[in-house]
Amino acid sequence: MRFKDIIKTVFLTEIIKGMALTFRSMLTHAVTRQYPEEKRPAMPGFRGLHALMRDPRTGEARCVGCGLCAAICPSQCIHVYTADSVEHKKIVERYEIDVLRCTFCALCVEACPFQAIALTEHYEYADYSREAFYMTKERLLENYDKYMGWEKDKEYFRRFWHPVARDFTGYEEQPVFRPEMRSGQGR
Amino acid sequence: MKFFEIIFGPGSFDLFLNLLFIIIKIAVVIGVVMFHVAYATYFERKVIGHMQVRLGPMRVGPHGILQPIADFMKLFFKEDIIPAEADKPLFYIAPVISVLAALSSLAVIPFFEGFVIADINIGLLFILAMSSLGSYGIILAGWSSNSKYSFLGGLRSSAQVVSYEIAMGLSLVGVMMLSGTLNLTGIVKAQEAYPLGMFLIPQIIGFFVFMIAAIAETNRSPFDLPEAESELVAGYFVEYSGMRFALFYAAEYIGMVVMSSIAAICFLGGWNGPFKIPYVPFAWLLIKVYFLIFLYYWIRATLPRYRYDHLMDLGWKVLIPLALLNIVVTGIIKML
Repeated sequence: MRFKDIIKTVFLTEIIKGMALTFRSMLTHAVTRQYPEEKRPAMPGFRGLHALMRDPRTGEARCVGCGLCAAICPSQCIHVYTADSVEHKKIVERYEIDVLRCTFCALCVEACPFQAIALTEHYEYADYSREAFYMTKERLLENYDKYMGWEKDKEYFRRFWHPVARDFTGYEEQPVFRPEMRSGQGR
Repeated sequence: MKFFEIIFGPGSFDLFLNLLFIIIKIAVVIGVVMFHVAYATYFERKVIGHMQVRLGPMRVGPHGILQPIADFMKLFFKEDIIPAEADKPLFYIAPVISVLAALSSLAVIPFFEGFVIADINIGLLFILAMSSLGSYGIILAGWSSNSKYSFLGGLRSSAQVVSYEIAMGLSLVGVMMLSGTLNLTGIVKAQEAYPLGMFLIPQIIGFFVFMIAAIAETNRSPFDLPEAESELVAGYFVEYSGMRFALFYAAEYIGMVVMSSIAAICFLGGWNGPFKIPYVPFAWLLIKVYFLIFLYYWIRATLPRYRYDHLMDLGWKVLIPLALLNIVVTGIIKML
């Protein structure tokens, strides 16, 4: 052992350094969030509770009952039942989502050709019964009124569900195989 | 007064008064120390929390100030589970031994000039004896629970306490040599002639060895092998619950308070300070004890647990030779 190492061992310099670090971090502010009082605002585009979008002109659901969302859903938690109306028009009789089975992948949002379903920023919907998590068409439309609304609705698809190549590439200086494909230039 | 003299003979009233006075003193000391123990748990959680950039308890009362009371209520009303295979009598008395040994050491600690329950001439020896008796509680708890984790915890604890006892005793020998007494009040008085009014400077090695041995004696991190959570669940008190668990917990914290007081009295000058604080004769002792308890938390928040063989190495190959060297050096200086 060299002289320096002996000094280090005898005077516990490493331990003193560590203790200085813990003392310093004691004086810094805690990062804890006091949850029920201090809520973390959801990031824009957060995938929370589902909502069926209303058509701003009629106020009815935009959904036409094509069933693409149910078809793509990996956990198969969307159930769509359609029927014939008197005027032989296809109507959506039941539109149900079992939220407990949903994985919030948002493939349904991507799949929908009419932008009729969305994931809102609401995430505090804990409950005691399973029924509370079984969303019917009425409850999904209610979710739209509560957590989405027309103002957010306009933004929502423009910003988050309008997939463009630049959303899926990295930062500007990131090395890429084909530079001409960078930042949506390939689109 | 007459009544007493008639029934119990002459002079019995003074005896009775004396006894009453001692009992009141004991009640006061136990009350104050138990209060400190309760809030030591709270401040430990707070200090370690802030060192880990957390907040610690925040829910019960403002900033969680009532947390110890809530904890006590919970432990008091919790079901007292006794394992079917346990050695019942030993299982019952183990926590009592633990807490009793810890509390009796308080009897000889002088909190300020003239305030000590038992001003005996072997005070320091009594403390050492009591701290080793406390490990009986731990070993018996480990044995009687009839569980492999608590048994391993008990074994580790006994080995650890036995080896660190030696270093601790030897580190205090220097203090005894300088002060020429084992009476704790005498030790504090003897320190008044030394620089800063404490033995810290002539006995720096002794203080160092004592502090490490004290942490190991009280089974605190980084020497908390008897209750190493990651290996032994909770160590020797795995099978305990409710009030019996609380007794072990209290014993650990009383041990911390006692060890900090001993360090403050033997090395840091006890109730004497750089200047007198009026009306609060125990203020300096309190400040020193608080600092040392904070040191316990600080070390716990900083250092990881020792490996078992490293622990034994440190005890036998470093601390005991250091303490012996300290005795030799102190002796030579004293002779000159």
